[in-house]
Amino acid sequence: MARFRRIVQILFLFFFIFLFLRARYPYEVNLSSDVFLRFSPLIPVFYLIDNLSLSLMFWPALLILFLTIFLGRFFCGWICPLGTTLDIWDRIIKAPSNRTNGKWLKMRWVKFGILTSAIFLAIFSYNVWGFFDPLAIFTRITTVIIYPVSTFFSEKILVLGANLSFLESAVYPVYDGFKSMIMPESQSFYQSVFWTLLLLVGILTLEKLSRRFWCRNVCPAGALLGILSQFRLYERVVGDPCPVCNRCQTDCKMNAIPAGNVKETNKVECIECFNCGEKCPPEAKSITFRLRLNPYHTQPDFLRRQFLASGAAGLVTLGFFSVGLSHKTSSDRFLRPPGSLPENEFLDRCIRCLECVRICSSNGRCLQPGDFGVSLLNLWTPVAIMREGYCEYNCNLCGLICPTDAILPLTLEVKQKTPIGLAYFDKNICIPYERNEDCLVCEEHCPTPDKAIKFDVKEAVFSDGSRKKVKYPYVVRELCIGCGICEEKCPLPGAPAIYVTRTNEKRWETLPAGAQLKAGAQS
Amino acid sequence: MDRRKFLKYTAAVGAGTIIWGNPLQLRAATPDVVWVSGGEPADLLSAALRSFGGINAFISRGDVVVIKPNIGWDRAPQFAANTNPTLVAEIVKACYETGAKKVKIFDRTCNNPQRCYKNSTIQETAEKYGAEVEHVRDFKFKKFSLPEGKLLKEWPIYQDYLEADKVINMPIAKHHSMSRVTLGMKNLMGVMGGNRGEIHNRFSTKINDICSRILPGLTIIDGYRILIRNGPSGGNLNDVKLTKTLVMSPCMVSSGIGTFQSQNK
Repeated sequence: MARFRRIVQILFLFFFIFLFLRARYPYEVNLSSDVFLRFSPLIPVFYLIDNLSLSLMFWPALLILFLTIFLGRFFCGWICPLGTTLDIWDRIIKAPSNRTNGKWLKMRWVKFGILTSAIFLAIFSYNVWGFFDPLAIFTRITTVIIYPVSTFFSEKILVLGANLSFLESAVYPVYDGFKSMIMPESQSFYQSVFWTLLLLVGILTLEKLSRRFWCRNVCPAGALLGILSQFRLYERVVGDPCPVCNRCQTDCKMNAIPAGNVKETNKVECIECFNCGEKCPPEAKSITFRLRLNPYHTQPDFLRRQFLASGAAGLVTLGFFSVGLSHKTSSDRFLRPPGSLPENEFLDRCIRCLECVRICSSNGRCLQPGDFGVSLLNLWTPVAIMREGYCEYNCNLCGLICPTDAILPLTLEVKQKTPIGLAYFDKNICIPYERNEDCLVCEEHCPTPDKAIKFDVKEAVFSDGSRKKVKYPYVVRELCIGCGICEEKCPLPGAPAIYVTRTNEKRWETLPAGAQLKAGAQS
Repeated sequence: MDRRKFLKYTAAVGAGTIIWGNPLQLRAATPDVVWVSGGEPADLLSAALRSFGGINAFISRGDVVVIKPNIGWDRAPQFAANTNPTLVAEIVKACYETGAKKVKIFDRTCNNPQRCYKNSTIQETAEKYGAEVEHVRDFKFKKFSLPEGKLLKEWPIYQDYLEADKVINMPIAKHHSMSRVTLGMKNLMGVMGGNRGEIHNRFSTKINDICSRILPGLTIIDGYRILIRNGPSGGNLNDVKLTKTLVMSPCMVSSGIGTFQSQNK
């Protein structure tokens, strides 16, 4: 059983990675890539709190929640890609067994505390659970760290190979195949690498304290599934020949077998990995599993005191969120992707998975993971930094890929007419204004059918008395959609002479009529 | 000289050579420039090539040929922002028929390269005839010195372009606010690396600095559909005019761009 579980785990991990890699232009899979993020069991619960309704869009998660009642935390042990990654990591670093980490048992309540605070904050319409969502964490770390780093190394190695004359002809096809199937066309720059790296290093380092430290003590999805798994239809039975060698106890991934009594199983913590059956020495073979229709109950390790404490902690956090970090200079340049819900709903709905950032990296590359700069809640939400990239005129993929429709899946026609901001000239540094020389790179690239950047021709007089006609560009507010290609292509070094602000942005509350789009469809 | 006059003169020279020579004499007296109009891309191309005595006037057996069309924009062919794909495919076919070893096609695009190559349909049509259509690889831009340059002394140029035996430059005639129309020289920006935006101020001098050192062997101007407003990116079918024309010359005819530029000053 444990071997079968391992195969399933690896298959799911590959499935998630496959869907992650497919999330790029051209986005033509029939199976929509964001389906794996909709596996996250937290999403429907918090959607319910936000909207007082269930959405069938999250059918994989609803299915998992339903099955968990009867099957227990199988999601954690069999499906969750973060859990699988940690299992592999544990083998590499040889994480300590339960013999030595008993002292961390008392930390278990923290995950219930986080879940409680998150629910509490969600009622006040603050989304913090997204930061802890295991699938969002997996996608976020892959997008910002793992994927760019592996791209960097593979590209370097391939280029190195291409420079050796005898390898050249062999390497180029590999390079091109790699480039069109796996790598983004050009490697992205991500601004909030530090926080993501901290998260990655944190989760991995904690494994030195105990196996699956994150899943045992922090993960609110695990807490939710643990509370739900009360009607498990089968149980672990320890037969009489058990010599009480305690091997199943010390090697349990979740420390779900109490140290004093190997015959019991903590149903809230058990993730159905079936390792105990495998660990049981062959001469004893006393662990078996059987169906049981009248289930017994396991109390979560969560005291009333701790419940109240986490509620209070939620309240304090609420206070933190009300501390304003924003000033107009930064918040007015905090551009959201086209089709984003109005800001408050957007922050509620976004699970900070950065899948939109990932798919943008194979297109215009404007989307970046947000920073603390504007508010605490903006961490890891998508923000368009136009100087690093621009919003590709013929692209609406961020909306198609968003697992929770925080970015609505606008059709291309609607997206092309939905302004996400407005461009302004800085005439102090703009070449025609500052040096009286023609430039017009911004006008050249402007993608709207009727260009939003137009120009006046005026005669400039130079110090030697000579005269020359120069073209001075300006922005037409009604035509500009804020795509930012002007800002990206502006030839000035450093600060651009044209930049996009949030002024004039258009947010849709629901999909505009007639703009319904099937998942995976693309024009 | 304005654009209309320029085009008229080109037409006159072209027509003159065609009328003057009978096919047998053509080989002896090849024209400087040929202007053909009123046909489909394939007919235009073969007619123009005939007056030069066929493509083997430019391409020899065993040549590695680089064709540089405009694939700069994420636009479908009918928007006339990129070179006509049929025309590109036809010239690829002609090159292989005359015994070219390899035909390479690439452009450093303005929009996302995958989107441009796909939406322009140049990748699909040219690959059908065996051309190698590749994305530009950053590491292949090599420093290229321009000893006679007035403003620029060096600029990165694409390696494959420099190493090719023969180069065919295939711009599409398009409106551009800076020079009114862009042709061959502007099209060669697709083989230039570095910060191309920098070339745009004092453009005429800088583009001359570079282009005069990397002259193509043949320039074919696609005038089948031309963009008459809102260039070079276009995007509005009302700005496209069906002119069914093609201009071909071994010299970069389009150096007329400098003339237009000075007109504007």
